[in-house]
Amino acid sequence: MSVKIFSPQDFPAYLPKLNSLYDDLFAGGKGFRSKLVQIVSKPLKLSTETETLLCQTIEFIHNASLLHDDLIDRSQLRRGKPAAWTKYTPEYAVLAGDYLLARVMVNLSGHGNIKLVQYTSGIISDLLEGEWLQDSVVGDFFITVAQLDRIHNLKTASLFKWCLKAPFIALENYDKELHVILDEMGTLLGQLFQRSDDLLDYDIRNDEGKVILGDLKSGYLNSFGAFVSAKMSRSEIDQMVKSKDLSDFYFIFDPDQAAGKEKFLSKVNQFDAVNLQKIELYHHYVQQLSGKLMLMKLDKTSTEQLVQILNSLTDLLYFRKKSV
Amino acid sequence: MSRYVTLKKSDADFLKYMWGTFSGTERALPIESLNPGTAQESITFEIKNLKEIKRPSDLFIFSCLIKWNYFFLLFIPLFYVGVKNYVFQRIFDPTSFGLAAAASLFLFAGLNIRNDVIDHVSGFDRIIKTAGKKPLLLGWTTADSANHISWILCVIAIALAVPVCIRQHEAVRVVGITLGLFLAGNFLNKNNYKFNHFSEFVLFLILGPALCSGYQVAMGSGVDTEILIFGAVWGVAVLFLLYIVQFSNLFETSQAGIKNTLTQMGFDRSKIFLMSWWSFFIVLWTVYHFLYASQFWLWFGTAILIFWSLPTFIQITSTHSPIGSDLIQVRKAGNRAFALMNGILVFELIWNIYTQIQGPL
Repeated sequence: MSVKIFSPQDFPAYLPKLNSLYDDLFAGGKGFRSKLVQIVSKPLKLSTETETLLCQTIEFIHNASLLHDDLIDRSQLRRGKPAAWTKYTPEYAVLAGDYLLARVMVNLSGHGNIKLVQYTSGIISDLLEGEWLQDSVVGDFFITVAQLDRIHNLKTASLFKWCLKAPFIALENYDKELHVILDEMGTLLGQLFQRSDDLLDYDIRNDEGKVILGDLKSGYLNSFGAFVSAKMSRSEIDQMVKSKDLSDFYFIFDPDQAAGKEKFLSKVNQFDAVNLQKIELYHHYVQQLSGKLMLMKLDKTSTEQLVQILNSLTDLLYFRKKSV
Repeated sequence: MSRYVTLKKSDADFLKYMWGTFSGTERALPIESLNPGTAQESITFEIKNLKEIKRPSDLFIFSCLIKWNYFFLLFIPLFYVGVKNYVFQRIFDPTSFGLAAAASLFLFAGLNIRNDVIDHVSGFDRIIKTAGKKPLLLGWTTADSANHISWILCVIAIALAVPVCIRQHEAVRVVGITLGLFLAGNFLNKNNYKFNHFSEFVLFLILGPALCSGYQVAMGSGVDTEILIFGAVWGVAVLFLLYIVQFSNLFETSQAGIKNTLTQMGFDRSKIFLMSWWSFFIVLWTVYHFLYASQFWLWFGTAILIFWSLPTFIQITSTHSPIGSDLIQVRKAGNRAFALMNGILVFELIWNIYTQIQGPL
């Protein structure tokens, strides 16, 4: 199912540049979040109309956040192409993001499930709070991983939580216990995805060709940077901040390039070990969810498939394994 | 490979895991959650074999549990009351004074542990991560053992306080009022007494005027205006420490829906409030010294205090985020200002003893 669902009602053709801006924006995305919505929706047997609405909602929110994010971060590229604010104007980028969020509310309220509207509004608030907080810590090179986790829980994990929970809310299943499990799963998926994304900055599992040390150069210490710098002296942190490339970065660990790289990679292994514990915890919650789904008396085969896919998500999101 | 267990609060085994009595060879460590509503519904524990837990010495665990680094909150008023009455030669019952001092220390230690146990059982410590080692979260001991130690310390405190009340009848009133305040602070509030308006006021009264006048009553000197004013000054300073902690947890407590002075004011206004509160303390300090201290300490002590407070004000002003490393710096700056105030006070009191022994210069 395509998630690029344009309708004249959503995006009026008389607004200059709006449709071409969205064409560029939606074209390069993998649509992972809407796929996750589809995966969760399948055993719940949601109507196609509802499933489409949910997929559209999450893609609109995600893309709105990208429009705003790129402008805030002054990122020149998005998915290998000029970012919207550079190709069009910053004003159009902001308005286009706002417009997507407004359409989300129009479309969802038309569906009639007020709880879903309320929950989605809360998630959008979380997303914005996360952006705001992230902007407030730019230039803070002493921030801890735990503090960044809280920002990422708002900024990144909120959308993962939505993907997992929204299909149940659309089905008017408000079981508190179930939603606690889904919240925890979403939080962990979001953290793992963010941490993996942060590793790309240090050229670890960077098949996407993300810019090296981009975060650090723009004054943002990401989760891996915070993990590595946790036991560094002030002068080492100063040196880290000044790193122009990975060779400079390895030098902090050892003046000898090869030895420095080896020590750096051992830090990556330590970081992976910490995140493996999170993966184990995530699998525990998937197990809990499986028990809850069994009680809902859904189709056994599709439930088992869902559990299997959910279990494999960590390989995709953290280890970036394409074959999943 | 870690093992996890998730239990609802209504599950039969929930309390056994929470209190750590489910096994003699394993510990159940509650997993931190970033979702504030989670703790109200269920708790996920990581089950660890005792051999996997790196446990420090019993003495270290005990010192973490009783929070020995906060004992100066009692030592300074104790020292002040002792010196004040020594100088005026009004220590009529040193035995009761000693017993009251010991009782207050045991009670403080016992209540500190109790506080941790309540936070642990309610799930509060999974949401708000405060500074310092948390023996219960780290699995060094169980909530059940900590609870037993807390009760033992409280019973010792009561046993020490009984002879004080027998020897100094007026002490019964002070203890009664303090106990009433403590219970009101605990039962009239939904959350922990550290995190509520009324509780903040109770904390001010208990650790300020009630504590100082209690020590003085115990030595048979009764309550006077000076001790009440000093108690108020001290109480305001203690609240400054509390507000600094609230500021450094502002984001987490706001997310968890906890209402305290700073969460209700928000980040920007809290910064102004913190500086205003410490300025208010300096005014009270000056008034107290104007009334009861020599000109030297009035001008010299106050000048140093104001000078030393400037970095604290600068640090608070330059804090940009409710979540970054600036918060640690604010906490350190606040603690430094408080520590210096203590230093001036202790030095001033020692000077008073010296002049009492030597006679005025």
